Amino acid sequence: MIRLENVTKSYSDEVVALRDASFDVAKGEFVFLVGPSGSGKSTLLRMLNRQDRPERGAVWVAGRNIVDMPPGRVPHLRRNIGNVFQDYKLLLEKNVFENVAFAQEVIGRPKHVIRQQVPAVLDLVGLAGKEERLPNQLSGGEQQRVSVARAFVNRPLILLADEPTGNLDPATGEGIMRLLDRINKTGTTVVMATHDQRIVNTMRKRVIQLDRGVIVRDQARGVYE
Amino acid sequence: MLSRLRYTLRETFDSFRRNATLTLAAIITAAISLLGVGLTLLSQEGFDNLLSKWEGGVEMIVFVNAAATDEQRAVIATNLEANQGTFIDTWQYCDAQCSLDEAERVLAGEPGTLALITTDNVPTQFKVIPTEGTDVELLRQLEGAFSELPNVYQVQFAEDQITLIEQLQSFFGFRLLLLSVFLLFAAILLIWNTVRTAIFARRREIEVMKLVGATDWFIRLPFMLEGLLHGIIGGGVASVGLYAWNTQWTSGVKAFPEGSGFAALVVTNGYEWWVMVVMVGIGALAGAIGAGIAASRFLDV
Repeated sequence: MIRLENVTKSYSDEVVALRDASFDVAKGEFVFLVGPSGSGKSTLLRMLNRQDRPERGAVWVAGRNIVDMPPGRVPHLRRNIGNVFQDYKLLLEKNVFENVAFAQEVIGRPKHVIRQQVPAVLDLVGLAGKEERLPNQLSGGEQQRVSVARAFVNRPLILLADEPTGNLDPATGEGIMRLLDRINKTGTTVVMATHDQRIVNTMRKRVIQLDRGVIVRDQARGVYE
Repeated sequence: MLSRLRYTLRETFDSFRRNATLTLAAIITAAISLLGVGLTLLSQEGFDNLLSKWEGGVEMIVFVNAAATDEQRAVIATNLEANQGTFIDTWQYCDAQCSLDEAERVLAGEPGTLALITTDNVPTQFKVIPTEGTDVELLRQLEGAFSELPNVYQVQFAEDQITLIEQLQSFFGFRLLLLSVFLLFAAILLIWNTVRTAIFARRREIEVMKLVGATDWFIRLPFMLEGLLHGIIGGGVASVGLYAWNTQWTSGVKAFPEGSGFAALVVTNGYEWWVMVVMVGIGALAGAIGAGIAASRFLDV
């Protein structure tokens, strides 16, 4: 599903975000990216949805090298990738239903499809009955669930999560992880950057550890260390 | 398709509402500048009306009373033919119907006079086009010969009438157009700034749109449409202004004393509607340019 081949990315002569990074992620895998701040986790995630491009190397997603993908094809790539962020990135003037529907609306899904699929995904993330609430009427955990619902509503092949539990208390964070695990079990590949040692150690999924842009560990059923 | 259209329209009008003050400023500036363009075109048409009888290089006109006989007209024609090939290149006879049509343009602002003119009493005209490079003084030598003839009403020379009108036309035309271009530039800048503000206000939404796979055009379209509407609405407002101006000016000219020289400086032939279409068109173009530059510069999709 994902393959990185000798990917190097630097922001200046002194700041090398990724250095010669290579790995494969199979369809349906759940991978944690761990490492200290500035180790290159977010840069790696940005490479996978073509928000960023490497100076050297190849990034394969769903069988295509996306490094030289024409800009006109990038939106179609992104329709197969869901994104969850630490700060949720919800639209504050839209309610829960509208926030999730927005992801379908902007890619031209018909209204009847939206009316059918949004309630289903809100039910999946445990927000049934809260469709009319605005983001500021929800707890942090609930806001992150909206963000997950928005990322998953188009049934992406890959879900990228950048510190999704970073702003949440441990119990709420666990709830979000159960949700991501559930989504992963539907066949969606999940790549998640995190600092949360407890979650990584509890989940026992594959762990790729980065340090100053270099992959220093790639371990199946790994722990944080 | 329908859902995308609905989305685009909804976002465009939401943006109008959110940026009401800037939107209003952009529309007013566009309207004022387009009104300037419209007035320039309208005044040029008015001046063209003043000069219409001199179209096609005519330098001398011999007006003949409606009561003139065929023989009296033939004498003038013979005289003109005698000089054809030397300093007269060609001449045309404008009969009663032709002269009446012309009078309707020239006297559009003097309905009282116009009402009295018919094909039975309108003076007909011999319009003389001199050979290229001919000194008009040579034509003036004929003035005496024609003025003496029975039923010749008047002999007019373009030189005596055109110079001042052309100077006025050029003076007003150039300055009004220059002012309009400056204002139009200001309108484009304001539209650009309004769209830029709208993009900034929706940056979070745009980021999400990009990440969920919205195409560049889907993201750009509401902003482009917003700029386009600024221009079109500005053009519409300017059209209303132009219509009001033209109506007021036309009725104002009718109140001037007859023979004041302003009778032809009005536009009543439907040309003003064409100018309104042009204004809306230029407005749409200015809006599209302003919004297009802002969208491509600040959206980075």
